[in-house]
Amino acid sequence: MSKQYLSYGSADNTHPTDIFSLAVTDKQILSASGSNGLQVHSTTDPDFPLVQTLEAHKVGCHHVVTDERGSRAVSVGFGGEVLIWTCQDGAWSKTKGVTFTDVWAIALSADGQYLAGTTQNGHIKVWDLGAHEEEIRDHETKGSFGTCIDLSPDGRLIASGHENGSVYIFSTETGRMPFSLSGLVKPVRTIAFSPGGKFLAAAGDSRVIVLYDTSSGEQVASLTGHSAWILSLSWSSTGEYLLSGSFDGKVKVWSIDTRSCVATHSETEKAIWNVKWLPKVGKSEGFATAGASRSISFYREATGG
Amino acid sequence: MDASLDHGHHTASQASALNVRPENPRAAVRQYVGETLAALVEQVCIPDGEGKPKITIKRRHTTAISSYRINISTGALESDNAETEVTYIWPGKDAYEAWRFSITLRVLTAIAEAFDSGVVVSKRDIYYSDPAAFESQQVVDTLVDDLAYTIGVSRFDLNVEAAAKGLVTGFYQVTTTTGERIDARLLTNDCLIPRVQDISRLDISDVDWVLILEKEAVFRRLTRSNFHIRARAGMGLIVTVTLTSSFKPDMRVLTTQQGKGYPDLGTRSFVRKIYDSIPSSRSHNLPPIYALVDSDPDGIAIMSTYKYGSMAHTRENSSLVIPSLRWLGLRTTDVVEDGEEALNGDDLMPLTPRDRKKIVAMLSRNPVLAVDGLEPEWRVELQRMMMLNVKAETEIRYGRDGGLEGWIDREMGRRASI
Repeated sequence: MSKQYLSYGSADNTHPTDIFSLAVTDKQILSASGSNGLQVHSTTDPDFPLVQTLEAHKVGCHHVVTDERGSRAVSVGFGGEVLIWTCQDGAWSKTKGVTFTDVWAIALSADGQYLAGTTQNGHIKVWDLGAHEEEIRDHETKGSFGTCIDLSPDGRLIASGHENGSVYIFSTETGRMPFSLSGLVKPVRTIAFSPGGKFLAAAGDSRVIVLYDTSSGEQVASLTGHSAWILSLSWSSTGEYLLSGSFDGKVKVWSIDTRSCVATHSETEKAIWNVKWLPKVGKSEGFATAGASRSISFYREATGG
Repeated sequence: MDASLDHGHHTASQASALNVRPENPRAAVRQYVGETLAALVEQVCIPDGEGKPKITIKRRHTTAISSYRINISTGALESDNAETEVTYIWPGKDAYEAWRFSITLRVLTAIAEAFDSGVVVSKRDIYYSDPAAFESQQVVDTLVDDLAYTIGVSRFDLNVEAAAKGLVTGFYQVTTTTGERIDARLLTNDCLIPRVQDISRLDISDVDWVLILEKEAVFRRLTRSNFHIRARAGMGLIVTVTLTSSFKPDMRVLTTQQGKGYPDLGTRSFVRKIYDSIPSSRSHNLPPIYALVDSDPDGIAIMSTYKYGSMAHTRENSSLVIPSLRWLGLRTTDVVEDGEEALNGDDLMPLTPRDRKKIVAMLSRNPVLAVDGLEPEWRVELQRMMMLNVKAETEIRYGRDGGLEGWIDREMGRRASI
């Protein structure tokens, strides 16, 4: 069964250059681009107005993440600088700038206290933002570039994806690595835990989305249909749907129940660097996409007859 | 006869903490050149031929295998080697010494001229100023290095560059300052680019496009296929820098930029000459100047050097820039967009840590790559390289649809119609 999502607005050409990363809170969407900083758009207003511009990353910004409450954000710039932001009454301000050597992809724990990150030489690290950014974990892998990372919603697991196709899962409590997951040979570019933590989805240059069971490490499904590198994945809040974006501009929605693609969008031919589900409004779920088109596009599930 | 007494006297000594670079190398050069030439004039002025003009230089022992180390305070590569002092006196006791004296003086005056006028000359320029006298390029190269060593400075402090390395093939004619005409339209082989100072007129009125290449290998391929007369866009002019060298690289000045297609001043001057010759040659349909470089940070930096000048030698940039230079390729994103089917396993390579550092340094330092800079597309391409962690070489096009030539035809056609 297919589903319909309607484009219901966009922030057009909001950045002068590619948008590389998105992060959402209840009321806002943060976007990071190759210009000199971040933009904050309101998602409660149908016009998605720009509410704040945070100029902080001189040579551009490639990752931005927020905690569950939307009170803290962390961004990483191409220059390697890591900035920590705090939100009060909808306005963001920078609280700190730190340098974690060679950090690339990041993930923030639900409570905003712990930041997990990959490094260019394949380390997986965790910093305690509540204790002077102390490094509390440093897992070494086989040295392949850590392209992506995610934390399970309960904070107990970290998963990382690497350029050589490796996918690792670590326990944050023991620091042990229960699984090294097989299945992808080519660079992994995106990785995401399902909301309940039962599944881990990973994808990249092999154009396949692989689903793993996080309790066994077994591969339970592979979703095929993209014909270009997959750059981004996002789970819907219920875990029923998985959203994916690829280098050729395609955006797909996958049903986890039926393991099939239920919607495909191809409004652009330019790379989609990031896709994100938006918080549910009433019964309707929606998502945002962004990338080389330099715009943020918003989609909402078609409801009613 | 003891060979070591052939000319002048030798003092061999082991220089331990050798050649501490003077704090002000330019002052050191000025002082050495000034004092040496003044002493020569003084001797020449002594009446009745009683004067003994002489030049003393220090030479490194090239036979000893040297050990290299990093100077912790300067971070520079250093080596221990024995040095020899040689004095050439005019007229000397034999023809050999007279020759050594005269060519040393010639190199010294060439350096003095370059130094005074603030122009950088190449070793090749010096050699070609009188090939018969110097006998070989190697002689000039060694002398320049010996003089730099004697003064205790680097070759760059002397305003001397390595041998010029530009190559050109194409539908052009040159009239030299001596009245000689070179009609390259009839040549099928490439040639070293002529010295701009020797060109009185560059005729490119039949040229429809100009292509600057980073890679000599790509240049060779296009020349072999006569692309400059077969391209769909018409008659062309192809320029590159050669990495082939008839002499050993000079370890002391071996930088990361060498061997990567960065243009020397001679090549840049010639391309600028082409650029300057365009408006006068045509009233409409001005031939575009394209750059085809690898999709990696060096490729972008090389293109930036042609278009905006070198970050190392900023002084000459203003007279050498090519403002109309267009980026033909290679873009990583285009390569990726060709689709997985077109990709071979090793077509795309991961960036090295050096590549990533270089990209960050370029984005931070090169003003044309700033957020409000002149080249937003270069900026975002460098960022996309970082995001994807891949790079690609121009040669990737060889095996694809229509080969490299077909691809260039399509790209030039597409860009011309924009």
